[in-house]
Amino acid sequence: MGAGRSTRPAAGAVEVTMKRGPYAEALKPTARRAAVAKSALEAETAGLRLERRIDGQLWATRGGDRRAVWVRRCFPWTGPTRYVSLRDDDEKEFALVRDLNEMDADSRAALEEALAEAGFLLRIARILAIDEEVEIRNWKVDTHHGRRTFQTRLDDWPREVPGGGLLIRDVAGDLYHVPDPSDLDRNSRELLWAFVD
Amino acid sequence: MMNQKHTPNHDIIARYTDQPQRLPVELRAQIEAAWGGRPVQLYALADLDASMRLAELWVVLGPRHVAIARPGVTREGWDLLSIDRSRIRAVRESPGLSGSTLSILGEPDDPALGVVRFTNRQRRAFENIKFVLEQQLEGRTIEPKDADRQYAESVAGPIKEAQALVAGHRMAVIWRLLAYLRPYRRQVAIGMGAAAVITLVSLVPPYLAGFLIDRVVRPVQDGSTGVAAVASIAWLAVASMAVVYLVRQAGALVRLRMLSVLGEWVARDLRTELFEHLQRLSLSFYSRKKTGSLITRVSSDTDRLWEFLAFGIVDVSLSLVMLVGLSVVLISLDWRLGLVMTVPVPFFCYAIFLHGERIQQLFLRAWRKWSRVTDVLSDTIPGMRVVKAFNQEDREAGRFHERNDDVTDEFSRIHHLWTTFWPGLMLAVHGTTVAVWAFALPRLLGSATGTPTLSAGTFVSFLLYTTMFVAPIEIIGQMARIMNRATTSAHRVFEVLDTEPEIVDVAEPVRLEPVAGHVTFENVTFGYDGVRQVLRGVSFEVEPGEMIGLVGPSGGGKTTVINLIARFYDVTGGEIRIDGVDIKKLDTGHYRRQIGIVLQEPYLFHGTVLDNIRYGTPEASLGDVIEAARAANAHDFICDLAHGYDTVVGERGHTLSGGERQRVSIARAILHDPRILILDEATSAVDTETERNIQQALDRLVAGRTVFAIAHRLSTLRKASRLFVVEDGVLKETGTHQELLQKPDGRYRKLYQLQRELA
Repeated sequence: MGAGRSTRPAAGAVEVTMKRGPYAEALKPTARRAAVAKSALEAETAGLRLERRIDGQLWATRGGDRRAVWVRRCFPWTGPTRYVSLRDDDEKEFALVRDLNEMDADSRAALEEALAEAGFLLRIARILAIDEEVEIRNWKVDTHHGRRTFQTRLDDWPREVPGGGLLIRDVAGDLYHVPDPSDLDRNSRELLWAFVD
Repeated sequence: MMNQKHTPNHDIIARYTDQPQRLPVELRAQIEAAWGGRPVQLYALADLDASMRLAELWVVLGPRHVAIARPGVTREGWDLLSIDRSRIRAVRESPGLSGSTLSILGEPDDPALGVVRFTNRQRRAFENIKFVLEQQLEGRTIEPKDADRQYAESVAGPIKEAQALVAGHRMAVIWRLLAYLRPYRRQVAIGMGAAAVITLVSLVPPYLAGFLIDRVVRPVQDGSTGVAAVASIAWLAVASMAVVYLVRQAGALVRLRMLSVLGEWVARDLRTELFEHLQRLSLSFYSRKKTGSLITRVSSDTDRLWEFLAFGIVDVSLSLVMLVGLSVVLISLDWRLGLVMTVPVPFFCYAIFLHGERIQQLFLRAWRKWSRVTDVLSDTIPGMRVVKAFNQEDREAGRFHERNDDVTDEFSRIHHLWTTFWPGLMLAVHGTTVAVWAFALPRLLGSATGTPTLSAGTFVSFLLYTTMFVAPIEIIGQMARIMNRATTSAHRVFEVLDTEPEIVDVAEPVRLEPVAGHVTFENVTFGYDGVRQVLRGVSFEVEPGEMIGLVGPSGGGKTTVINLIARFYDVTGGEIRIDGVDIKKLDTGHYRRQIGIVLQEPYLFHGTVLDNIRYGTPEASLGDVIEAARAANAHDFICDLAHGYDTVVGERGHTLSGGERQRVSIARAILHDPRILILDEATSAVDTETERNIQQALDRLVAGRTVFAIAHRLSTLRKASRLFVVEDGVLKETGTHQELLQKPDGRYRKLYQLQRELA
């Protein structure tokens, strides 16, 4: 019992010493949060270069470290041009790009290209028909990429996305975006009426 | 040319997508010619081009090549890029939100050999191709067959998971439903006959009223006839009226009695057929469908069909008869007034139909908002601890309030619409009555010609008939909705009935009496979905009475091995033999009776402990049950229950702890006395003390049987005669505990050391 106490002080004791000790200032929650965010994020983008290889793969270089990376937007709808995570083949984060504007022009172009590819979804230009069947809803639409027929489950409603517009997910997982429902032609608006607030 | 098999998957592609049902025939020929006659093994549609427009490119896999075909730019036909598979060094898929890119790569720093883009709809088909290429890179050859089927299955798959049957034509579904009435032809005929009599007979009273006025009342009142002369006619009319009402109500009695029960019978037949079919379906069906949706199909869908069969059909068909009958009678009574009355009827029906459509839209919107209300409920009520911990009660209340108001607005809109529509429609109906008056009056009074051209009796009959128009108009207007509801329910029921069981017995199955327990796997491969294999070339031989411990990482294939032994699925390649007989040739029911399974999460049915222990062997004596419970270390806790073995357990019954449930299920297995026993993580969900109890019970259970046991805690396998390490779909190591520990780089050794460190 006595040995236990000497090697392992009670949890409360640790807290007390740390609060009074040299880390006291840094341990204040706000200071800690800000410091972590600032130092880490700045360090990650500093000296970061991106390029697209001839095989189409995006490569990132920072210092002597160089590897193939994948892009993932942290906030695809809330902030599409901010906080882009660059991930390596092991799904570990290699760097977090805080803002695309912080990159040099070439890197930025390479990143934008990769983002456009990864963020591709079908943008709806016109709705031709919406029919209900057993268990599924059948949509016929014109997208900016061509005509498409797809299905959603009856209880799977289109959702509003933070950046604006309506997002519809079909049974295969494809996404269809209506950037501004009020911008559609009259017939489309009427068909979509029940799904828009 | 290959024969083009047409499957339900092809129908789904044709109906629900805008893409081809299969690789174009001429392209297939062109590719196979370019490959020197080698066959197409797999293919997928790359439906996005380089500029991300929807397009038609094909990626085709052959034994030696991969071809990418795109429509010719300058000429008809296809431009072909054929890649030698031996040049491929890597295959890379970059998934995006809605579109993925597949790059086929050669030597590093060389441009990609081929790059294609596709939407998620094509993803499964591409994963198949990618899997084969990746296996090739690891030195394994896979030769997929039946490319058309694989393609159709992968494209139709997601749609089929949401809706398994292509929605047939509405009428075809109704006809199929009506076929269920065939055994009750007599009742149908009597019921429909009675209903027809009611309809026709109800046309009589207005006519009689007019007849009385013209032939009896008026002549007597204006003195042209004496009372005595018409008295008998008058009383005859009154008597006929009485007979009419009598016949009508007798008809109503017959109709209601015949048809309501009839609907009940058909619903019962459907329920029975459904439930029996559900018992026959393979486990893969249950992994695709939600339990809740299957339960509603057997319960509420069949109930809805009862409603339709008992009342819907009759109401709709008789309303049609009624409307036609009324129109004929009115026009024959007086064609001008008849037309005034009947011409607007189709418009009224159409207005009701349109109103139904509109209300449907409003309901859709209201349901969507309603689901947002229930979302808040299902979010916050289970998560109440979090809500309180973060002090968000007010925000949640606000969120609920807002959505609740929102949905109320929608429902108010619906009420506003129908409360406007129906009085409006009635006004229009009354408008026609007023029109009848307006047309009739001049002719009644003879103001144009000096002599009346319309008798008062005819006029009165007319007025009475006009009131009879309302009900059938309402029903006909709602016909579309009634039919829609019925076909939807019927469709959901037929969808299950049309699913074929995947495991079927051969014509003359073998019965092993008894099963000795000799299990052989010979080069067994298995995949749940065609191309990707969960087990690859697994071979082993197990002697009767051996206990085999299956170990390895989750997802490695252990559970698949036992699923195959129990024949929940059939192998895709190779063979499993029980006592030397191919498992596919066995009588499945008889074979499964000799297999016992104890699962990690034992399932107890609603019923007594006794029923549950005797589930597999209902004829067992009470003494045998106690003996089994004792062997399972369950007897003592069962005796402590208030009603002993007669305590009701399972859903809504007495709650047993996990360890207790497990011991009941072990008692069940002991009583069942299986020759082959499967233990799937039987002790992993309980504490150490309970585990010891269960372990003792299991030790008694395994004696003298062939046992396959999966366990994460390797200590539970100490009695195993041999251990199989299954990893990545392959049997990596086999041997006794000691033998496997001897292997310096052995996987089992590593696992064992890891667990000892943690312990």
